[in-house]
Amino acid sequence: MELTELLKPLAGTPQTTTALVVLLLPLLAFFVLFFAGKRLPRRGDWLAIGISTIAFALSVYLFTQTWNTATFHARTTWFSLPSTVVSDFTAGILLDNLTVLMLVIVTFISTLVQLFSVGYMQGDTGYHRYFAYLGLFTFSMLGIVLVDNLLLLFMFWELVGFSSYLLIGFWYHKPAAVAANKKAFLVNRVGDIGLLLGLFAFYTYFRTFDLEALRSLISAGDWLNSSFIVNYSLHGEPWLLELSPLLLTLAGLGLFMGCVGKSAQFPLQIWLPDAMQGPTPVSSLIHAATMVAAGVYLLARCYAFFTPDALTVIAIVGAITALAGALAALRQYDIKAVLAFSTISQLGYMVMGMGTGAYDASLFHLTTHAFFKAALFLNAGIIIHAMHRGLHHAHLDHMDAQDIRNMGGLRKTMPFTFYSYLLAAAALAGIPLTSGFLSKDAILSVSWAWAQTMSANCNLLYFIVPATGFAVVVLTAYYMTRHMWFMFFGSFRAPFDVQQIRHSLKLETERVMLVPVVLLAVLSLGIFFSLNPLSFSSSWVVEGISLKNLSLNMLAGNLVQAVTMQDDANHLPHILIGIFSALLAAAGIIVALIQYNRKTSEQLLLEQPATTFQRLTYNHFYLDSFFRTGFVKPAHWTATTLYRVDKWVIDFILNYSSKWLVVISKIVGWFDRLVVDGLVLLVGAISKLFGMLGRNLQNGKVQSYYAYSLFGFILIMLYIMLF
Amino acid sequence: MNDFILSSLIFTPLLAALIVLLLPMRFQNTIKAVALGGALVQMVLAILLYFRFDGTAAANGQSGYQFVNKLDWIGFSLGSLGRFQIEYFVGVDGISISMVLLTGIVGVIGVISSWTIKKNIKGYFLLYLLLLTSVMGCFLALDFFLFYLFFEFMLLPMYFLIGIWGGPKREYAAIKFFIYTLVGSLFILIVMIGLYTSVIDPEATAAQLGMLQDGVANSDVILQVQQLLQQNVIEGANIVRTFSIPAMMDPANFIPGSLLHVLSGTVLWDLPIRFIAFLLLFVGFAIKVPSVPVHTWLPDAHVEAPTPISVLLAAILLKVGGYGLIRIVYPIFPDGGAYFSVLVGGLGVLSIIYGALCALAMNDLKKLIAYSSVSHMGFVLLGLASLTSEGVNGAIYMMFSHGIISAMLFLVVGVIYDRAHDRMILNFRGLAKRMPAYTTFVVIAFFASLGLPGFSGFIAELLVLVGGFSAPDITGMLPRWLTIVAVFGLLLAAAYYLWALQRMFFGKYWIFPELREKAKLSDLNAREYLMLVPLAILALVFGIFPHLLLNKIGVAAQGFTELVLRNGQEQLQMVLSTIVR
Repeated sequence: MELTELLKPLAGTPQTTTALVVLLLPLLAFFVLFFAGKRLPRRGDWLAIGISTIAFALSVYLFTQTWNTATFHARTTWFSLPSTVVSDFTAGILLDNLTVLMLVIVTFISTLVQLFSVGYMQGDTGYHRYFAYLGLFTFSMLGIVLVDNLLLLFMFWELVGFSSYLLIGFWYHKPAAVAANKKAFLVNRVGDIGLLLGLFAFYTYFRTFDLEALRSLISAGDWLNSSFIVNYSLHGEPWLLELSPLLLTLAGLGLFMGCVGKSAQFPLQIWLPDAMQGPTPVSSLIHAATMVAAGVYLLARCYAFFTPDALTVIAIVGAITALAGALAALRQYDIKAVLAFSTISQLGYMVMGMGTGAYDASLFHLTTHAFFKAALFLNAGIIIHAMHRGLHHAHLDHMDAQDIRNMGGLRKTMPFTFYSYLLAAAALAGIPLTSGFLSKDAILSVSWAWAQTMSANCNLLYFIVPATGFAVVVLTAYYMTRHMWFMFFGSFRAPFDVQQIRHSLKLETERVMLVPVVLLAVLSLGIFFSLNPLSFSSSWVVEGISLKNLSLNMLAGNLVQAVTMQDDANHLPHILIGIFSALLAAAGIIVALIQYNRKTSEQLLLEQPATTFQRLTYNHFYLDSFFRTGFVKPAHWTATTLYRVDKWVIDFILNYSSKWLVVISKIVGWFDRLVVDGLVLLVGAISKLFGMLGRNLQNGKVQSYYAYSLFGFILIMLYIMLF
Repeated sequence: MNDFILSSLIFTPLLAALIVLLLPMRFQNTIKAVALGGALVQMVLAILLYFRFDGTAAANGQSGYQFVNKLDWIGFSLGSLGRFQIEYFVGVDGISISMVLLTGIVGVIGVISSWTIKKNIKGYFLLYLLLLTSVMGCFLALDFFLFYLFFEFMLLPMYFLIGIWGGPKREYAAIKFFIYTLVGSLFILIVMIGLYTSVIDPEATAAQLGMLQDGVANSDVILQVQQLLQQNVIEGANIVRTFSIPAMMDPANFIPGSLLHVLSGTVLWDLPIRFIAFLLLFVGFAIKVPSVPVHTWLPDAHVEAPTPISVLLAAILLKVGGYGLIRIVYPIFPDGGAYFSVLVGGLGVLSIIYGALCALAMNDLKKLIAYSSVSHMGFVLLGLASLTSEGVNGAIYMMFSHGIISAMLFLVVGVIYDRAHDRMILNFRGLAKRMPAYTTFVVIAFFASLGLPGFSGFIAELLVLVGGFSAPDITGMLPRWLTIVAVFGLLLAAAYYLWALQRMFFGKYWIFPELREKAKLSDLNAREYLMLVPLAILALVFGIFPHLLLNKIGVAAQGFTELVLRNGQEQLQMVLSTIVR
């Protein structure tokens, strides 16, 4: 197989051109709004929303063109290095089922979030800047989804990080916001380092970043004597690779590191709760369809590149994350914190699904989660907005509008919000007939089959993964019920009239905010995803993105195949798992209801994390302090120490040696003055002496001259006579 | 035109300097205009050269240079010792074209940035233009002596520009800069003389031997001369020694038994003399790069230098170090390059991490950026040491990209220093509120520098790192852990930049009370836009369309890696074999 053949430019089709337009439209919105937004009527929000709507419409068109019908691929050479061991760096657009599914979700939710923001961000000084950033953010996310190679994917991946930095720190005058966006970017970069190293590892051996080419090369390879053999040629020169499983596992885990950062997996999930410092619609976008979904999408795109061992690690990390997120959500009092931790927990599910071979189920959960989590966050936005209004009217601006302890009884004041929240929360908790039930059930079923397959040699430890999944079901139902109870039941606990928080007598909030929320909440119903709302296997999403449609060899092909077969054979367990998870959810709800139904308003208002365990989960297992003392502080210490090395060692040596140079030059100068000059002076002095002697002889007296010549004559005579 | 374009590039600023010299002091605006004109002409010529340079033409070697201009300069007979010959030999290839373009662009930016200089304008611009001439000469010279001349000559204007127009500790910084660089150039001088005694000019020797027909030396004749030389049958009187760098790159031009011949067998401190020569040259240029641990002149020089001089220093002068490594050290001593690749790559990685950590500890914004320069120039060493196509292209790309981005960074620091006469990070908070456009450019510059995709820095870092990472398998050069450590530099870069942003530009607006009276924090003015906007656009253009530059660099870089790898392995074997005997 010749690699350069695999990387040939592919001509664009109308579909790929449309996809390019979809990609560039939000970027256009960014540029127009950033530079000229201030001068536009209504500061350009209509432009942003209009462009988003067009992008969404085009995405739907692309969806109809591509879904289950065809794939489109356009590719061009980006740049090339003239070397026989380097292939061209290409850039292109790849449209397949996975791409168009993500495309529709991203543009849809992004449009709704922008619509919502018209109400939510009304009157903000940075109104146009806000919409500009949203455009950049959408552009980056669409880039991740559309591109056909890992290098470009990484570039858009970083741009997502950058635009989230801008959005989280949108209110840059808030110190907490600028601390949070720095943290988000840096923690993401930790993951990116792994991702980059993973990319390098694949590039080193396969000499390309192109996904299709990589997949072809990997399907051409084979496991032989527990090493992976691949044969191909590049510029006519043969490349024979014999890769050890350890290396491939490490490379795969490198890619996974990127997902750990972006999709907030253990132990890098610490940035996500802080990220809620951004405006609430932004949280909605980050938590639902974009950014955190990118990590799961990456796993899906690179699914062929993970070895069984790598997948096992992924499954375990996912399970840990699901549990840690759910536990941390138990005792939160900030309305957004609960939702943030629930996102972490749900992302854990998705990653666990990827690790256990539940590729399609995991992506299905990504889809359903996108809708109900967006609904929840936007609802939270409505409530926060309303609380702000109430607190402002009552001159209580210092009070925390996001603290659920200050709320209560909102069910009656804000019925629309309540019912849409209820619907979305039910989906999150996995109540039957909701979308969340379907997708969660799917992941649990496959992970059960995975545990069965893996424990074929009687190692039952693998069952811990699905068991964790079940435990999280209870916890999720519990914390969502508690959360709902705090906000919507009982009586209003803040010290002002609850009617103050309504927008007007007729409307609980601005209509422009209500529409997206209701729409998203309705889409949390299972019926939209599967005609049989109790069974995930008939879901159109699962059918469209199942691994069967990928038809390729994977590094973990045998394992995934075995899991799929086991899953297909599990008829009875399927039904039992469905019933069991529904019962677990019910149990969680009932426990929470019993616990909170007893509490008085006063108790709710003053509730604090009481026990050690509660404090532990409330503080997110002190992971932040762990990283601070374990990494940040040592880094600062090293930094200052190294700077001292610069000042006190290198410069000291330099100054010290230059001082010695001066000393030596002083000595040389002294030597020069005394010895060298001394010699010269000595010669002068001697000749002076002789001169003096000579001068004394010439005293001008004839008799002296006569005596000298007589004396000389005698000396000459003596010389002649003696020698 | 083709014959004179390189010489015009070099001497246009000198001509402008002469005009400035003749103008009376009081014609300040005319002096500025002449300086700007000189720099502009140089930039236009550089851009013209960039477009006319053919990136696909033959690889490195005698014939790979374009727009060559070769004239006898100093030449006389030494009797039985042969002929002494120094040539005015200039030419451009894929390695230098990017540096020429960079010098042209940054030269103009620097003049615009110098507009606010008040003290002794005539002297300032005179020295500034002299500096431009010598830097451009450095990048275009193909004769080692000529190169050295320009290289040394850079010191003089730089010394005075820092020492007279600098900040409070300017004398210390200037003398430190001067001594550091002078020590480096002494090392280079020693090796240059050694090389001169060892290398012949085959063409001129052929002429001396009367082997030329019609005065043209074709490759057959040159080959014949080289064979005669290696058989040791050319009389001493007929040998024409040379400083020509292309001649030095061909091992066949070394006189048998001479000091630096691969088989000379001379050993100094247990190392073959060629390794010593490599190390001396390496240290000489590493000081200029600068690489840890010979970097401490840089923060001081930057902190004391006025803004435009900082811009020039970071954007162009540092590149002379990296350029010298690529042009001179590696091609002439490929055996040393192969033998010391871990040392060079290791120092590169050390610079990346050490510089980044030091930057993290800084409270002075300008010093932070100075240390970030140390960190980024480490990538150049790493890419070179990998000797992979990606690594070398990346190293050259990094030099160009760092030139653009560091110019932007130092300009940005200059903006706040102009207004507040202070640039301590902790003395400001929430500047974004007062200076939104300024903050936008700070964010652009910082993110470009920390390697955000879309900016040129990303392409450079990516190529260097991917080259370094694959080197053990492709060229067998660096251990892999080195590159893995280097990748953490990306994290540290993000850390120091974002932390600075957080502390200085975001949060509630506040400035140190003592500064409040003096500081007039107005947003960017037109002149500052004029400098920052083109640089930001350039960083973006070269980040999105890297082929614009890589198409020019690629063939030369490929020739470089092939030459160094092929000759390096061969000569390394020979050098080591002499030691065993």
